[in-house]
Amino acid sequence: MSNSWKYKLALLALLTVVSVYLIVPTIFGFSGRRQDAEATGETLPWYYSVFPDKGINLGLDLRGGIYLEFEVLSDKAITNKVDMFMADLERWMDREKVPYGSIRQETKGNVIQIEGLSEADASKLMDYVGRYYGEILVRSAKPGTPAGSVDLGLQKSYKKFLHNQIVKQALEKVRNRIDRYGVAEPSIHRLGSDRIAIELPGIKDPDRAIGLIKKAGQLEFKIVDDSMSEPDLAKMVADARAEKEIPEGFSLETVETINEALAGKIPDGTEVAFEIQFDPVQRKTTGGVPYLIKRKAEVTGEMLKNAQVNIKDNEPYVSLTFDAQGSQLFGETTTNNVGKRMAILLDGNVTKAPVIREPILGGQAQITLGYGRYDDLMAEAEDLSLVLQEGALPAQLVEATKTVVGPSLGADSIRQGTYATIVGAVLVCVFMLIYYRWSGVIANGALALNLLFILAGLALFQATLTLPGIAGIALTMGMAVDANVLIYERIREELRAGKSPKAAVDSGYGNAMRTIIDANITTMIAGVVLYQFGTGPIKGFAVTLIMGLLISMYTACVCTRMVYDYVIVKWRIKRISV
Amino acid sequence: MIRNTRIPFIKYSPAFIALSVLVVLGSIVLMFTKGFNYGIDFEGGAKLAYQFAQPVTEGEVREALANSPFAEASVVRFGQAKENRMSIKVTLPEKHAQIGHQMTAALETKFGEGQVKLEREETVGPRVGEEMRRKAWLTIIFSWLLMLIYIGYRFDFLYGPGAVLALVHDTVIVLGVFALLGKELNLTILAALLTIIGFSINDTIVVFDRIRENKARISKSTIKDVVNAAINSTLARTLITSFTLLLVVLILFFKGGGTLHDFAFAMIVGVVVGTYSSIFVASPTYIGLYEAWPRIRGLWAKR
Repeated sequence: MSNSWKYKLALLALLTVVSVYLIVPTIFGFSGRRQDAEATGETLPWYYSVFPDKGINLGLDLRGGIYLEFEVLSDKAITNKVDMFMADLERWMDREKVPYGSIRQETKGNVIQIEGLSEADASKLMDYVGRYYGEILVRSAKPGTPAGSVDLGLQKSYKKFLHNQIVKQALEKVRNRIDRYGVAEPSIHRLGSDRIAIELPGIKDPDRAIGLIKKAGQLEFKIVDDSMSEPDLAKMVADARAEKEIPEGFSLETVETINEALAGKIPDGTEVAFEIQFDPVQRKTTGGVPYLIKRKAEVTGEMLKNAQVNIKDNEPYVSLTFDAQGSQLFGETTTNNVGKRMAILLDGNVTKAPVIREPILGGQAQITLGYGRYDDLMAEAEDLSLVLQEGALPAQLVEATKTVVGPSLGADSIRQGTYATIVGAVLVCVFMLIYYRWSGVIANGALALNLLFILAGLALFQATLTLPGIAGIALTMGMAVDANVLIYERIREELRAGKSPKAAVDSGYGNAMRTIIDANITTMIAGVVLYQFGTGPIKGFAVTLIMGLLISMYTACVCTRMVYDYVIVKWRIKRISV
Repeated sequence: MIRNTRIPFIKYSPAFIALSVLVVLGSIVLMFTKGFNYGIDFEGGAKLAYQFAQPVTEGEVREALANSPFAEASVVRFGQAKENRMSIKVTLPEKHAQIGHQMTAALETKFGEGQVKLEREETVGPRVGEEMRRKAWLTIIFSWLLMLIYIGYRFDFLYGPGAVLALVHDTVIVLGVFALLGKELNLTILAALLTIIGFSINDTIVVFDRIRENKARISKSTIKDVVNAAINSTLARTLITSFTLLLVVLILFFKGGGTLHDFAFAMIVGVVVGTYSSIFVASPTYIGLYEAWPRIRGLWAKR
């Protein structure tokens, strides 16, 4: 027997042993028992420490949990940033006593438009912009723009950078919030340019988790303008809704459209915000009380030092502690507005608007949470304090897709998928046995190895096995024998042509190999394209399919060949059973 | 045992080509007139899977939802009858955060508390769905192009069009069957389509490879015989491989559970059509191109 044959055998033996080692924890359900042991505190048998900790990683569709995709709406945050630049330019022009007509931001393209400058001032302004905003702002000159007008747009590269930064920050915030919430093995990653994908396995209360992630966490304290009575305001809002056909509800967009419709009818520098009435039993919004408030926030959540849950009279509330700047501002505001009401806004909605009875100088405030079951309120208070401590999201998150899977469906899926794979594989084996006799036995051995290696590969690379992934394994069982079929049919042809067993096997493998490689590569191309496109479950399918085909090139071609080489040389057989 | 067949496939190919053209045209007409039943992956919406404690019918579930905000919901049985599972698809209302609670409440009023269990809830925003649909079409077309390039690279450019035409043929027919039966088109079906594309090209390559092996014998007068002989000598392999794959997908179809049911169905159609197309679409196209090539080159030279 040649040396190369021995090396090949050694490699196969090694791969087999390693593979068995890798899949033992999965087959015997180590992780489940490990969890049980951790809970009860009993010690595990010695062999638990010998085998790897991690078995095959099951996808959410199999183990249950939530999969979420959020879109990060960076536009608004970018507009805010441009507002800051604009404010700085305004300050500069005031300081340099540059006369100008108007300065505004065209929010669609984030262009700062300055009009009514003299030509000399315009170039002076451009000098300033060039010196301090060279990498950020660029002058866009449309034909027909008067000489005294300056349009400043964001540099493309800077806008990209900013967007990227916002998404990154949002991702970081979301990660912190989830870590604090305490989920085992969460997976949080960026998807494309503006999405965040979150996987939370085995979560019990999906609504709460989603609310926690999505909560903007924007806390603002604004003074209520009492110049209009509440019924008048309510009527105005209702009229605006009817006139402009604004839909029901109090989402941020809706409130914004209402404010646009009311512009001019309400005093300058004020806006309308709603206190939303929520029926905790029916879990339904029943209405909203409008408030007229000053647009400018006196104090914001950024000035918080701490937020904590406290309980008073059996009612949970969140107590806030401001930092030095916040304490000072809060003190000043309350001193100047005694007798007025101060609205506490959370993500644009009024949570409460208490009357300021006396100046509050200690830098402390509190948010109470309305009515409902104690447990619900407690959970809400905990989530709110967590969000306020972690800080606001840099941009709004919009739910793009959501999948919530309960564990029972997943368990049934595993059972049915595994059953179908095994039955399918057994049927294929029976057919191969009948059709190719002893050669069929060899092909079946290769098929079994293939299955073993796929499972070991999944465990080794910690790839995720999903339900379509199980289907991929089943399909591999049907497709992997193709290599053997090609080889065997070829050997039969060569034997019919009168070649000796050795020559037939040699040319059978030789000729079929080229076809097998071409055929498998094209199928793998389809698999890779699918992997590129897919989301969770579909990726799992592409992974098992590609792995199965790659492995089949080894098991179905190299491993089976070893058997033929052995029996032909050692046993000197005269006839091949094919 | 299949051996030494001498079936004159090429002789009868005009009839089969006519059949293929008819079926493909029919599929395209169906795709445009009847349209697809897109799943929420490709259209946006919400899909909820419930398991009931007692046996129920689709009609009963629809009745239970008649007086709820989900009167327009489409209700389909999911999995086998004894599993008592129903899949409910609705378009996305504006406020969809509480959709699961509302639906469960509506079902519980009819079937009683604790009798229904929400097992799976999926929502996809309409914009995301539309984007996915666009990307899915691009993915299919992209994979066709990649195959064209690969075959052109490994064989020569005369083989490529036939192989890809077979792929287009298979994809269109599977889609046509889905449109005809109103079966749901979703991400899992896209996975099936790409697998079918991979399988069909695989089948075609085996035949083409055999033609290439006998390249020396190809001439204008012998091409048909060479191709026909190649099809015949690979016929056993073609049928056996399709058969083993068909075994597996049939099992998945009957025993694989609700999610894999439609996937397996697409695969069944695809395996049958894919096997057919490598014999009756890809090979005749190659012959046609081979015969027409001198004329095409002539036209090119005249310009």
